[in-house]
Amino acid sequence: MFLAVLTPKDSSEVSPDAMLVHQLLQRDVDAFEQLYDRHSRIVYALVLRIVQQASTAEEVVQDVFLQLWRNARRYDSRRGPFVPWLMAVARNRALDHLRLKSERQRRREDQTEELPPVIDFPQFEKALDEKRRAERVRAVMGSLNAQQKKVIELAYFEGLSHTEIAETLKEPLGTVKSWIRNGLLRLKEGLQATT
Amino acid sequence: MNNCGQFRELVEAYALGALDAEERVAFEAHLATGCKDCAQAVEEARWLVNQLAYLAPNAAPSDMLKARLMQTVRAEARAAQGSVEPKAGIPFWMWAGVAALLVLTVYSAWDARRLQKEIQTVNESAAAEFKQREQLQQELAVAKRQAHILTDTNSKKFAMWPHDTQMPKLEAMWHPELGICVMGQKVPMPSSNRALQLWLIPKAPGSKPMPSLTFWPDAEGKLVLMVENPPDVMADTKALAITEEPAGGSAQPTSAPMWVGGVS
Repeated sequence: MFLAVLTPKDSSEVSPDAMLVHQLLQRDVDAFEQLYDRHSRIVYALVLRIVQQASTAEEVVQDVFLQLWRNARRYDSRRGPFVPWLMAVARNRALDHLRLKSERQRRREDQTEELPPVIDFPQFEKALDEKRRAERVRAVMGSLNAQQKKVIELAYFEGLSHTEIAETLKEPLGTVKSWIRNGLLRLKEGLQATT
Repeated sequence: MNNCGQFRELVEAYALGALDAEERVAFEAHLATGCKDCAQAVEEARWLVNQLAYLAPNAAPSDMLKARLMQTVRAEARAAQGSVEPKAGIPFWMWAGVAALLVLTVYSAWDARRLQKEIQTVNESAAAEFKQREQLQQELAVAKRQAHILTDTNSKKFAMWPHDTQMPKLEAMWHPELGICVMGQKVPMPSSNRALQLWLIPKAPGSKPMPSLTFWPDAEGKLVLMVENPPDVMADTKALAITEEPAGGSAQPTSAPMWVGGVS
């Protein structure tokens, strides 16, 4: 059972990221620079994949890190690791940018928004570095069929709902739902199998 | 709680953000009931969805982005530090307060001194008024007494004749209880440091003249002398005499009488 690999959160174990975020609360500029150096590449890569334009991606990444600097208290290290939370913030911000750009209603830079929940890692994930993690996800994703891969990417990178994907692909709604669910379950199994 | 079957199929799509609004609302309502199994499944699915970020092709932001960010962050950190930590030295508002206090102190001192002077002036004025009033009251009392002496039938009137015939005659009135009043016109002013002095000449043989007041006529030569308490009683007095004496008066006459008037 996949749930079995999730371990209780160990409050005594403080990650370097959590310590750096804590230092942000004291307006520590060096801590901010370290966090940026550690995670700006993966954040930028994700945002660029979503917005598809380098200058826009930099604008969004700047928003994400400024939001981190100004609202570091909104990350609760006791509830999970920092990177998934930061990635979820970046994805939400990039998707917002896409949606609002289409509506020509860009949000103000300092506008607060509902932040995503913190996401905990399963135990087997904790030792993986970023490069190995990416290689493994790509490998498993490559094992999905084309339809499953397509709908998952449309949902994740373009923020489309079931109905929007069905309209885009001109496929039945039930089929799209099935592709997404089965594709994600296959992905989960594949990730478990490669640990 | 265990009506989860219909919702379990929605967990992954919910974590992915792919549910349409109606399904999302229904699923969140179910989560709000406290279904721990579905909450755990959602947490797991969120981790799974998060892994999709690694499908993005590798890319790196420009150095300019970091430079811009750090510039903004450093400026905000400095601003925050400046707003929390008090600046060294005395702030401007405190200097302004000290200056205002000094001005107020100087003004207060000046105003107090001004008020003190005004009070002193008013006090002096009041004292002068009081003194003048006292003087007028005394003059009024003397005038009343004179008037009484001059009109009362008990008063004895007699003339004081000058030794020098060029000198004016004086008139005297003696009331047994109110005193003596001597009046005259065109009386010459005594020489410098000299005064006129009244004497009572007793009837008893061999008695010495009794000294009374020294006095001067006014600038117009008018003479009004009032003696409230004569040194001797009218019955024992033979005559009144006036001599010129030193300004402080004499115990005994030092010059010949200028005016003499018999009392009885």
